[in-house]
Amino acid sequence: MTKKLILLTVLLLVICPMLFAQSADVAAQTKSNAAIGAAIGMAIASGLCGLGQGKAVAGATEAMARNPGAIGAIRTMLILGLVLIESLALYTLVIVVRSSGLLG
Amino acid sequence: MQESELWLTKIFNDYLAVPGNWFLSLVRLPHQARPWADFIVMQLLVVALLVVLVLILRGRLSFDRPGKLQHVFELIYEFVHGQTEDQMGHDGEKYLGYFATIFLFILFCNLIGLIPGFDAPTMNPVVPLGCAAATFLYYNMVGIQSNGAKYAAHFVGPFWWLAPLMIPIEIVSHLARPLSLTIRLFANMYAGEKVTAVFLSLTYFVVPAVFMGLHLFVALMQAYIFMLLTMIYVAGASAHEH
Repeated sequence: MTKKLILLTVLLLVICPMLFAQSADVAAQTKSNAAIGAAIGMAIASGLCGLGQGKAVAGATEAMARNPGAIGAIRTMLILGLVLIESLALYTLVIVVRSSGLLG
Repeated sequence: MQESELWLTKIFNDYLAVPGNWFLSLVRLPHQARPWADFIVMQLLVVALLVVLVLILRGRLSFDRPGKLQHVFELIYEFVHGQTEDQMGHDGEKYLGYFATIFLFILFCNLIGLIPGFDAPTMNPVVPLGCAAATFLYYNMVGIQSNGAKYAAHFVGPFWWLAPLMIPIEIVSHLARPLSLTIRLFANMYAGEKVTAVFLSLTYFVVPAVFMGLHLFVALMQAYIFMLLTMIYVAGASAHEH
């Protein structure tokens, strides 16, 4: 665990100068920085929302297995919960689209 | 920059530019050469479709021998009525009209985007904003109608001495509701369309069609969720403190 951490930190420190030693065109640099930042932000949002939705589905299936009589109510709650968590990832997507201009 | 127009919008702009500019002048906006926008024409189309459908249904309603259209609308009614009963019991019947309307309108708006040659009006952020603003006004009106001046008691919280803390929190949370409704609907529709387009540019045949199927599922779910959240807000606003 510690070796992996050290390896990752060294890789990060080695890559940074390569990122900064690029062309002096400010506008394109800002745009590409915005695109990289947007991609990282979207990845974090999607990853965490995936974890949250996984927990929601796990809880729902376990509850349905324990109590088959309440499947209808649990299904409603599951769908509502999944859509609300999904919308959190989508808020990030809206920011990404607005800032990076990649998808218009 | 030439924006691409749908064929229906082109027809509207070519022949109905004068009424379009009259609508613009009603709200003091300057006249434009091509006043009709895609999303306005599509919304009018959806409204016309819904009105025609319901008028045809009205002519064919029968108690003894219901036809197919009546069966479909009975299913829709049972669905919306069942959800209303789940959320707010039997008192919810007076609000059923608004819930069914917003459900069918958003459903048709989302689905019409799947047909080639038509664009989903909910892909433009203005249209979900309109629906969310209508819902916001509606649930506040319902709250004032059913609770009177005591509706303000909802904002105060459980204890009167928490009011200076609770009132800003409640106001911000109430304002966040139409914001989240708007962004949720807009982002889902916009992302679905863009993802399909991106995959269409990358590969062909099966993969974009799979994403389009996902977009269809998401369109149905988003209409349902909008209606469900509207019901939850109305149930919260019309709750009588016993």
